[in-house]
Formats: sequence, structure tokens, C-alpha cells
Amino acid sequence: MTDIAPTGTPAKPDETARAPRRKMRLHIAVFLAPAVLIYTLFSIYPLIESLRLSLQSSVPGGEADYVGLANYAKLFFDPLWADQFLNALKNNVVMFCTIMVVQNPIGLVLAALLSLPKVRFTGTYRTLLFMPTLLSVVIIGFVWQLILSPLWGVTDGFLRAIGLAHAYKPWLGLEGSALFTLSMISVWQYVGVPMMLIYAALLSIPDELIDAARIDGLRGWAIFWKVKLPLILPTLGLVGILTYIGNFTVSFDLIYAVQGALAGPNFSTDVMGTFLFRTFFGQQTQLGDPHMGATVASVLFFIILAGVSVYLLAVQRRLQRYEM
Amino acid sequence: MAQLSLSAVRKAYDKHVVIPGADLEIADGEFVVFVGPSGCGKSTLLRMIAGLEEITGGDVRIDGQRINELGPADRGIAMVFQSYALYPHKDVYGNMAFALKHAGVDKAVIEERVSKAAAILGLEPLLKRRPKQLSGGQRQRVAIGRAIVRDPKIFLFDEPLSNLDAALRVQMRVEILRLHQRLKSTMIYVTHDQVEAMTLADRIVVLHGGRIEQVGTPMELYHHPANLFVAGFIGSPKMNILAGTVEAASADNATVRLAAGASISVPVGASPAPGAKVSFGVRPEHLAIADAASASITGTAQVVERLGGETLVHVELADGATLVVKTDGECLARVGDIVGVTAQGAHCHLFDEAGLCLPKAEKHVLAV
Amino acid sequence: MSAPETSTPSAARVQPSIARARTGRIATSTAIHTVLFGYTIIALFPVVLVLLNSFKTKRAIFGDPLGLPFGKTFSAIGYLDVLHKGDFATYFTNSFVVTVVALFLIVLLGAAAAHALAEYRFPGNGFLGVYLIIGIMVPIRLGTVAILQMMVQLHLVNTLTALILVYTAQGLPVAVFILTEFMRTLSRDIKDSARIDGLSEYRIFFEVVLPLIRPVLATVAVFSMIPIWNDLWFPLILAPGEGTRTVTLGVQQFIGQYTVNWNAVLAALTLAIVPVLVLYAFFSRQLIRGITSGAVKG
Repeated sequence: MTDIAPTGTPAKPDETARAPRRKMRLHIAVFLAPAVLIYTLFSIYPLIESLRLSLQSSVPGGEADYVGLANYAKLFFDPLWADQFLNALKNNVVMFCTIMVVQNPIGLVLAALLSLPKVRFTGTYRTLLFMPTLLSVVIIGFVWQLILSPLWGVTDGFLRAIGLAHAYKPWLGLEGSALFTLSMISVWQYVGVPMMLIYAALLSIPDELIDAARIDGLRGWAIFWKVKLPLILPTLGLVGILTYIGNFTVSFDLIYAVQGALAGPNFSTDVMGTFLFRTFFGQQTQLGDPHMGATVASVLFFIILAGVSVYLLAVQRRLQRYEM
Repeated sequence: MAQLSLSAVRKAYDKHVVIPGADLEIADGEFVVFVGPSGCGKSTLLRMIAGLEEITGGDVRIDGQRINELGPADRGIAMVFQSYALYPHKDVYGNMAFALKHAGVDKAVIEERVSKAAAILGLEPLLKRRPKQLSGGQRQRVAIGRAIVRDPKIFLFDEPLSNLDAALRVQMRVEILRLHQRLKSTMIYVTHDQVEAMTLADRIVVLHGGRIEQVGTPMELYHHPANLFVAGFIGSPKMNILAGTVEAASADNATVRLAAGASISVPVGASPAPGAKVSFGVRPEHLAIADAASASITGTAQVVERLGGETLVHVELADGATLVVKTDGECLARVGDIVGVTAQGAHCHLFDEAGLCLPKAEKHVLAV
Repeated sequence: MSAPETSTPSAARVQPSIARARTGRIATSTAIHTVLFGYTIIALFPVVLVLLNSFKTKRAIFGDPLGLPFGKTFSAIGYLDVLHKGDFATYFTNSFVVTVVALFLIVLLGAAAAHALAEYRFPGNGFLGVYLIIGIMVPIRLGTVAILQMMVQLHLVNTLTALILVYTAQGLPVAVFILTEFMRTLSRDIKDSARIDGLSEYRIFFEVVLPLIRPVLATVAVFSMIPIWNDLWFPLILAPGEGTRTVTLGVQQFIGQYTVNWNAVLAALTLAIVPVLVLYAFFSRQLIRGITSGAVKG
């Protein structure tokens, strides 16, 4: 009745915006094309190309041949490769578990404290606690290397001062403790991430819900365990998957900076990232091999894909996001 | 059986005083509505009764027992929130059972109480649903059910209908009224909507700026407002207020000359001396449009709002003041007409310079 | 109706219990602040230690690591070494160029794509939306082998362009995700009113939408900046040459070369840390908003 479309053709309100159809198509493409192009060329295509490269083999300078899954077979079953691969994978898993067990509970506690009502200076605490996360992993690695170094003696001196005179060992240099020490450095740096994510989730719980819980007779910790925690489970799931992805990729930076590409001592801190780097670029006696590098990267891709699928299918579905 | 008394209840945040001191007695089984504009302290007062807000000073007693220091769960109250505040991770049954479960009540008892409450509210088919699968009205019912299950001495409602659409609000209002008739519990209900207040309350408490302006039955507030604030807040459209001067006074009557020129006789018990400045108040429904030649008040019709069954005529008087007249739908006045207005003196009010209402010579029959 | 503010007899009885509640609250609050403050010390100590010691003499670094650089212990020798031996001006310029250009592209292209996804209905909208954000979950590093080969073919190895392209591709998914979520909340009316005023779709994007989402653009920019500035992997692989080194790679290489020169190492670390801290001081609000908006929406 109140149709005032200039063309006179009856148009639903929703469709008036795209009345001149051909013109519309063009500008949608203009808006989307640059992003899609760059993203496809430098992110998606290389991933697919890596998968393709992993199915080929070549001698240096020669043509690449299709070899099927031979590279994967070599990686999994040839002792020369399998030992290193399994060692790196094991170290990644150990590191992931250590970080999950240490970092995320600390982050949860800090977030819970920060989100309490009437705590002062939370903004300042939040800003300072998050600071290490911003710094380059490389820089952090060096900083801790210096602090833990027997040459400087800061750690030694500190332990002496608190009465643990003989507790000090050059942890980064010992096979038994290097990986754990690196994990702790990673925890130190990244605890701000779970803290911030959980903090935001806690703040998004409406006050009235907490009031209702108080009316229902809950106090302090009971409110946290029975009301808040169930509501932030989706965020804990998110923290878990982020830790998982980060562990399989960014852990390279820390280990390469602190221990070098050989992930010493004696490969005790070798992870998939450093293994990939050595495979691709070669190491002392061995030449780099792009096809084996692509194979390692592809395996890493499937490992991450598996983790993400588990998260999306199992965790995300069960830990449904609650409308609050 | 619960009787609630507030004596000199005070609330201050640091130096900022929100409620300077409130006194109130609520009888057992009474339905009391706290009403007032936003920021008047009505929700704060309710939350202090609930135990959600610390009481700065004064006493809150339930059945004579002082409860200032008791936790919310130990006061024998239940509360229904504006946003319903249902636990999103629990189903309807879980929401209703939560408080009892936490208190360690026997499972069979919980089940019996939940199903009883569910039956009252017609929630039986929904017990396994999650809050997000429910409509607004259903969520509100669950929130009320959660309160019923706890079998509280006092029900507290904090603007429970504000998030519902208009039609549903009317329906839920009737349901809450039925619930009160059925349970006969003491209920305290906070709202900013005067229609809810008038329809639900046994007694209304009007709050303004943290102070209790008046406590009374809906008809008392309507016919005998204590002051200008209550007079303006209760009733829609608002009461007309005009400036005037007392011309003559007797034991049960005062004649007032309005700034616009007309004189009107109002039956007030204790009248100020002639010459005193007063505010003259009359509700639009107690005015009528009359022939301009015979009426004492005349003016120009500025706006005519026709609602079908009734007509609101905004009349501008000689001194620029405006009177809103509520008259029947057949009124023929048009914009620009010169119209006369007559007032029923018995329904008029006089307020002194402090804004307090001068007592009427007789109580209205509905307000005794 | 309301009582005067005098204390009633019962007010006297109220006092002790209020006092008790207050001491309880103070105890809890002290405990909370002890934990938070304690962890803040742990978070800050290593960084502060490096910053302080970078201004000390070698003797003071080892003799009194916790002391302040003051009088006899003060020395800027490390910084002089760094300036002579490393080309930090170049490293900073490189990092700056790479980061700024990549951020500009991420924000502009990301906003344009997000606008298209949020505003128009067209076939493939849903697919493209998912396609563009897959990258959040799949790290771009896994395609490194192919990226390097491609850069070799394009003759982009050891150029900043290579880094800019890769970082833009890496940053787009998160930017598109956050911006699409936000753009869906923008009022449709304001865009329709611009259409009625005769603005083209391009001008609507640049003159109506972009100004409206400026705060979010800032958040996305700050949020995307961190991984770019700090990255070691791609500079090491795509642009390791002396002339194209970024700060992170430059510091890493420098320290590898001069491990025994503690003054220089500490100074180099400080030079890498301070700009980030300064930026953080200005932009922490946007950054934290970026992280938390992901948490609430994601």
C-alpha cells in the first residue's frame, strides 16, 4: 500500500537494497576479491600445495616424481626418520600436557580473582599480567636463558637466599629438565591468554544470575563451582584448543631461540616445529628435502585438524554456549 | 505466616546516601508494590530485604526476628528477577530444584514440590527443556516456579514483567494475582509501571529519591495523594496542576482563585488563610467540556486526541497554562475552538507551598 | 513517612556485627591482592631485570644483578656495542614497514570482505564466510614449504613484500571474523538512509561503515600486530638477508653472534622489548577488547 519504489515495481523492503542486480554483483566482488585472493594464494594454496609436495620425491636438481605415500611410510617406519619424528611428537605431547595442567589452572585462578566484585586495581593487574604475552617468544627465550644461566647466577643467588643453596642446576642444559623448563617459560609467557579469555567469560555472566544463586543459598566457592564454572566451560574448551594449536606451531620460536635448530641437549627438546625446520632446510650432515619437509608439515596439519575436529564435534557440541 | 517490618532502614555507598531511612510494616499475606521512577531506591530496598545488598543502618525484621545479618537463603524469601536469571546450563526441572538440592533436601520431597509448582504454573510439559528453548512468558513462569518450590515466607518480585511484550504482561499480571490469591503468601513487588501497581497491590508504597512518599491502597493514592509527587505519579493522563490563591476559607471548604481568573470551591478540612498561595490539582477525568458562555473556566482547544471511546482535549487557558480534559468520544470540540471547562469540586485537590496535600473534608468512599 | 537519620537503639547492636563482617572482608581482600600482586611480580621481574642490567657495567651485572644502574654501576656500553655491531636502525625500519603495511592491508581488505559478507545476500555468502575464517584454526606455517617455493618463483625471497603478503594472509581470517560479527550489529537503517541519499555502495563503505567501526578497526589492528612484530619463523625463512631482517630476527642473530658480550645482549633485548611496551601502554585497552570480544563471540 505504501509502495513508493521509484521503478513502480512492487519490492519487498528487504530486496529494495539490491534492486539493480548487475551493479550489485560487481561491487560485492570488488569488496571480497582482494581479501579472498591474498588469503587463497598465500594461505590456502600453500597448504594444498604442501599436501601435493608430500606425495612427491626428487633428488636435488632433478624432476619431482609422484611417489604416493612413500614419504609418509618413510617418516613413520624408517628408523632414521621415525625415531626423530616420534621423539618430536612425544615432546610436543608432553609439553602440551604440562602447559594444560599448569598454565590453564593458573589462568583460571587469576581470572576468578580478577572478576570478583569490589576488587580494586583489576585494570592494572590485568594489564601487567598480560604484558609478557606481547613480547616476542624469541626475546622471552633469551631473557630466561640469561636468568637461568649459571654464568649470571641470578637464579642460583635467589635459591640461596630462600635457603635452597644446592637446588640450582642449569636446567636448560640438562636432558632431563630442559623440556619441562621450556614448558614453564611458555607458561610464564602465555598465562595471560587463558586469563583474559576466562575473565571475559566470567564478566559476561549476568549479575542477576549470581543474585539468584545467592538467594538459592550458595556462597563463595559454591557459586564458582556450581554456577560460574559450568557456564564458562565453552571458554575452557576454547582455551584448550588454542593451547593445542599453539603448542604444535609457535613452540618452534621458543626452542629455536633457546636451544637452536638441533633442539638440544641431545634432541631432548625437539618438537614438530624444529623437526620440520631441520627436515626442510637440512642440518649439519643432511641436506634439506622440501618433499620430506612438506610431509612433516602435512602430518602436523592432520594432527591439528584432528584436534580441531575433536574440539568442534565433541567439545563444542557438548559444551554448548549458553544464551545469557 | 510472615510479617515484615522495616525500621529506619538506611542505605549508603560510602558517603552517597541512597535511602536515608525507611519505615514500613507489611502484614502477613499482603501484596505490597513498591513503585517509583527509576533511581528512586525501590530495587535497592527490595535487595536489602532479600539480603543481596548490605543494610547500612536500621533493622529488617521478619515475624519479629531481626534478619540484617542473615544470608539471603536463610531469610525465608524467594525472588523473581527481571531477566528471570534462570541457570542456562540446567533444564527447567534443574532450575526449580536447584536451591532445594543445594540445601540437601530429600530427593522425593524435591520431586513432589517441583511437580506441584509445575502443575500450578502449567509447566509440566516443559520440565526437560533448557531456558533458551522457552519463550519469555514461559521463562518467567519457571522463575516464579523456582520461587514457589522454596515455599518462602515472602515472595520478592523485581520488575518481573518488564521484559515481556504488552499482551503477555497483562496475562502474567493476572496470573501473579491468581497465584497470590491461591498461596496467600506475603508478596513484595517492585515496578515502575503504575498500572501494574494499581492492579496488583493491596497497598502501594510510592518511593521518590530514596524516601517513602506515601503508603496506601491504590484508591487512597488516587483519591487522596499525600503530596504533589504522588498526585502526579499516580493516574494517567497526569493530574492537572494550576497555580492559585485562597480567596475564602471555612471549616470544610476553600475557595480558590486560579491564575487564569476562575474561582473554584474545594472541600478541604483544614484550609489555609485567605491570600495563601496554593497549587490546585484536578485529574483530567474530573473535568468536562462545557459551553464557553456558561463555564467559569474558558480556553482554546490546542490539541484534540481522539481515542474512540474517549477524547483528550488540551485546553490553553488565558494565562498560558494547559488543562487536559478527558471527555467522552462524542465530544465535538475541534482545534482552535473556544471551549468552557467545568470541574467537579469534590474531586479537586489543594496543595500547600511545600507540596503537601491539604486533607479533604471527607474520605472518598473507595478509599476508606 | 521517612524517619530522620538519627541512630535508633538497635543501631548500637548493629555495629559489632558490621565490624566483624568488615574484618572478614579485609582479610579476604588482602589474600586476593597477595595472590594477584605476587603473580604480577613474577610476570614483571624477568623483564625488569633485563631492562635494569642493560644500563650497567659488566662488573655490576654480575656483582649486583638486582641493583639499580646508578653512579659507578651505570654504563651504556652495551647500547654503543649494539649500534656499532648490529644494524638496528635497518631492523626497526624493516619491522615497522612490514607491520604497518600488513596491518593496513589486513584492516582494509578484512573490513571490505566483512562488509560484503555482513551486508549483502548473494550465492556463496555462507561458504565464503566459513572459507575465510578456516585460517584461524589452521596455522599458515604449515604451508611454509610451498610458500617458499612460490616466493622463489616470484623472485620475492629476501624482500619485505614476501613478509607483507604472508602476514596479510595470516591476519585476514581473525580480522574478517571479528569485523563480520561486529558489522552484523550495525543498524541497517543508516546504510539505507545513505542509499536514499544517493551514495554509491563504495561510498557507503568508506564514508558510512568505516567511520562507524573505527574503534573496532583499531582493536583488530592492535590485535593483529603482535604476532607480526614478534614472528621469527617467516623472517628466518623468507627474508633472512642482512638488509631485510626484522627486529626479532636481528636480535636473534645478533645474540647468537655475541653471546659472551653480556652488555650488548642485554641492550639488544631491551631494544626489542621497549617499543612493544610503549605501544602496549597506549593500546592495551584496544588489545584487551580484541581478545575478549573473541572470547565472548567465538
